[in-house]
Parts: sequence; C-alpha cells; structure tokens
Amino acid sequence: MNIKLIEPIFEVSILFTRVLLRRTRTVKSGRSLKKLVVLHALILCHFCLVGRATAQIYGSDFHTVTVTVATITNVQVSSGSVSLSITGAGAVAGQDNIGTVVDQTTNLLWGVNSANRKITARTNLGAPQFALKLVALNPTQGTAMPEVTLSTTATDFLTNIGRSSGTCTLRYTGVALASQGTGTDSHTVTFTVTN
Amino acid sequence: MTPNSTIAKKGEDPGRHRSVRKVISFGALLAVVVWVATEAKAQAPISVRGGNPTLNITTGWPGSEPVPVVNTATSVRYRRQAAISKITVRTTCPGQSFTLKVLATGVSEGVAAPEVTLVNGMLATDFITNIPSTGTWTTTTPTLRYTASATFAQGNSAEQGNDVHTVTYTIQVQ
Repeated sequence: MNIKLIEPIFEVSILFTRVLLRRTRTVKSGRSLKKLVVLHALILCHFCLVGRATAQIYGSDFHTVTVTVATITNVQVSSGSVSLSITGAGAVAGQDNIGTVVDQTTNLLWGVNSANRKITARTNLGAPQFALKLVALNPTQGTAMPEVTLSTTATDFLTNIGRSSGTCTLRYTGVALASQGTGTDSHTVTFTVTN
Repeated sequence: MTPNSTIAKKGEDPGRHRSVRKVISFGALLAVVVWVATEAKAQAPISVRGGNPTLNITTGWPGSEPVPVVNTATSVRYRRQAAISKITVRTTCPGQSFTLKVLATGVSEGVAAPEVTLVNGMLATDFITNIPSTGTWTTTTPTLRYTASATFAQGNSAEQGNDVHTVTYTIQVQ
C-alpha cells in the first residue's frame, strides 16, 4: 500500500513496530520485550515533540521582483498670480519710501528624491521699476536664505532640502520710492531645483 | 551483412546515418527531459507563474510622495495537500531601499492574509491560510498583487540602486 505520510513520526513508528513484532517472535525473555516497548515509547515521544516543532513543508517556489524608482524632481507654486498694490496711503512727507506691501498668500511645494538639492528663484523682468523682495517662511525642510531682491540671476532661496517633500510660505514684499514714479511691474518668478 | 549496410542505400555513407540516428536520439531525449520537467512543474505543490515582474515608480507630487505602482501580472499556483495547509512568503533583498507589499487576490481555496510588507531577511509570514485538504478542487491560481512605493526621502534608483527581491512562497502544513 502506498500511503503518503503526513509526518515522519508515523514512518518511524511503523518501522519500529515492525521490528518490534519481528523481535517478539524471537525474543524469549519478557524483560527484553519490555525494554523494547519502553524504547519505542521514548522514541515516539521524542519524534512527537520534534515533529510538532517543525511543520512539514510540501514545497516552495520563488521569483524575482524588481523595484525601480526614477529621479523625480517637482516644484510647484500654490497659486498662479500675486498682486501687490502700493497706493501711497501711508506715505510720510519728506521720505522717499512711499510704501511697502507684503503678500504671503501663496506657498511653494516641492518633491525631490535626489541628494544635495536647493531651490533658487529669479524673475524674468530685467529692469524692474520697483523692488520686489522674496523670502521663504516656515519651510518644512531645508534652510531659508535671507530675503533677496529678485533679479534675472537665479539666487539661492532655500538650501539643503535634500531628498524631501515639503512646503514653505512665499513672502513677497514690494517697495516703491517716490523717486520711482508710478507704474506697473509684471514679474514671472521662476523657482528651480538644482544642485 | 552489417547493420549499417542494411540501412544505407548503395552509394550512401553509413557514417552519415549513424549521425542522423544520434541527432534523432538526442532530440527525443531532450523532448523527454523537457516534458518531464514541465510535468514536474505542473505537479509541483506550489509554483509561481508569470515571470519576474519589475515595478517602476516614475511620478510624484510636490508636497506629497511618489505615486505607488501596482503589478498583478504574476500568480501563485498551489495544489491540494493531504492536510490543511498554508502558504507563507518571505524575501531577501540586500540593501533594500524602497517598500514592496504583496497581497493574494482571487483566493478561492483558503483565506488570504492581509497585505504583507516584504522586508529583507523577514521571517516567513502567513500569506494564504486554511487551505482545505478536501473538496473537488485540485489546484488554484490566485493573483499576486505587488505594490511598490517610495518616499522622496528614500531616494531614487540612480543613487540607491534597484531593489531586487527574491520572493519565496512555501506551502506547508498549517
């Protein structure tokens, strides 16, 4: 009979029982038979414990799973446009500075998974009539640089952002002097993640 | 009369016939070996099917994290056993950088465990449990649903290298 045994214990036990039965026919002394029975019981107990500790494995198979992550660099402003209006309402007679206006309604968001990265800022307006300043407030990652006056040269804005996902508040400050007259500056401000 | 002379026609090279016979014998032997291997695979208690998938994470949102990627191209086929059984899963992935999870879907025989996070050197973890030893079924092939994810802080493959997991599924007595 071809029986697939579940645990080795039964194989050992059956084998031992066969030996025992064979010996029973030949052994004349009852004491020897008793010894064999005790030995059988001990072996049975041993294999019961060991057998229970290691579950029987029917089979295994494997395959390879590869995970790749591309270099991802994202930066985004929360709103498309910011408007700063200097009306001169608070102007003081005798002072050239006729007004300073601040806006911090927009945020910058980024996601970068490369090491040693920073964010720079620049404007496309080559010769602005009025000064436009920018600083990062409360960055969740990295170090905010001191407030800079925007120019066409990219200037460090936020450094040491490393591999991170984060946000900061953009604080724009527009400054107008009486000597600069009236007018409108239209800036396109670009933020760049770089080494 | 030699055996070769009975086969070879007049003017034909008997050595050529021996070579042809050798090639045919070898071909037949190869076919048998392939057939035996295929049968052995089909009769195996468990086998992973569908090859070796690659999951590519390519996009991410600023202020958020890279978008996870799911792969359901592979499956695991297992046979009914003499006792109630279960399947465990484990992985080896030296220098693992990213996150990989696996879930069995479409399990008709047994109970799928919750999604397992595959970590290098992990202990074998239950994947499908309570696989019945009775019933009319012989084999079943649930889908392996792999989900790869990464954070921006975990970096990218250009700097960290790819994660290559050797994922092993084992069917054993429960």
